[in-house]
Amino acid sequence: MRSPLTLLLPALIPSWNFFDVIAPSPRVEYARLRSIGDTAGDWKAFRPKPQRLSPLEMLTRLVWNPRWNESLFLVSCAERLGDDETAHSEAEIFKRIAADVVREPQDAERPWLCFRVIFVSRVGEALVDEVQYQPAPRLLSGIAVA
Amino acid sequence: MTLQAAARLTEILLALALIQQSLEHLVRFRSEQVLFGVRIVLCGLVLAGIAAPWPLFGLAGLSVLILYRFEGPYNGGSDRMGLLALWCLTAARLLPTPALQELAFGYLGAQLILSYFISGGVKIVNPDWRSGRALADVFRFSAYPVSETLRAWADRPRVLLAMSWAVMGFELIFPLTLVWKPALIAGLVVAGTFHLANACLFGLNRFFWTWLAVYPAILWLQGRLFH
Repeated sequence: MRSPLTLLLPALIPSWNFFDVIAPSPRVEYARLRSIGDTAGDWKAFRPKPQRLSPLEMLTRLVWNPRWNESLFLVSCAERLGDDETAHSEAEIFKRIAADVVREPQDAERPWLCFRVIFVSRVGEALVDEVQYQPAPRLLSGIAVA
Repeated sequence: MTLQAAARLTEILLALALIQQSLEHLVRFRSEQVLFGVRIVLCGLVLAGIAAPWPLFGLAGLSVLILYRFEGPYNGGSDRMGLLALWCLTAARLLPTPALQELAFGYLGAQLILSYFISGGVKIVNPDWRSGRALADVFRFSAYPVSETLRAWADRPRVLLAMSWAVMGFELIFPLTLVWKPALIAGLVVAGTFHLANACLFGLNRFFWTWLAVYPAILWLQGRLFH
């Protein structure tokens, strides 16, 4: 855990280097597994984007955008995982996926939850995907989502 | 605009922006509801002008707890600008002499200018930005486009080249608007439109409200430096 001063300092002396380079972009996928060693997971994108948004929906999001902002926080967490800041980011991603998954139809045969972070980048003209982080699965029932 | 009037207007706009952000956290986890519920109450006190300046100091203290909770800003650059504004306003209220108060508030205005100028500078030295390729990559594979349909913009190289140079050009010349108030106001209208477009296309609604909240600081700074 970083000290409050090291967390606050980048805000008080900002760098403002927005989009200086377009870095590889993380995607979070999750799967429900039969056991901790199950490797046959059916991976799904977490919070896939809608196909399209109407101008009215875009404008509404100007004042009410909690899901998207949470997704952007998960992007930050996924990028931190790439920087080896693991425990907090891993727990945040598990918690937010679990909070959505518990609302889906329950599957007693698949009590374990796992996620993986795929980084998408452009090499030449092609887009390439690479799984860069996959933690040990956790029991869905053991993740606090309150 | 006097320092007091500009600082008060910034306080009000920032409190409204923070309330908007905080409401979004109330629909999720209990630990966040407590933190952001307290923030809404403190923002309400700032808006009403009750017990000033203590609610502002409370917000500054709470901001550190929120940073600690998320191990950094929840939403990157927009939260950082909100923190900067909050701490500059707090310093402007706390510091003992008018000169130091001006310095704290002027720092906020100066950082707003730098937020555009440095963003333009780091882009223009990158060949991918100069060719329009970087913006194409933003649409093609970054996490930001709010819908899959928007990714098709990556296949409009001429439009993206023009957009890239429009963004870089605007960001780099923005500091020049400081010498003449009508130019600054026009610049801020363009900047606000830019943030609005980013909010619509990339879902960055927090940037729109937070940057807007800081505009009184630059309007005051312009008057202080050029009149």
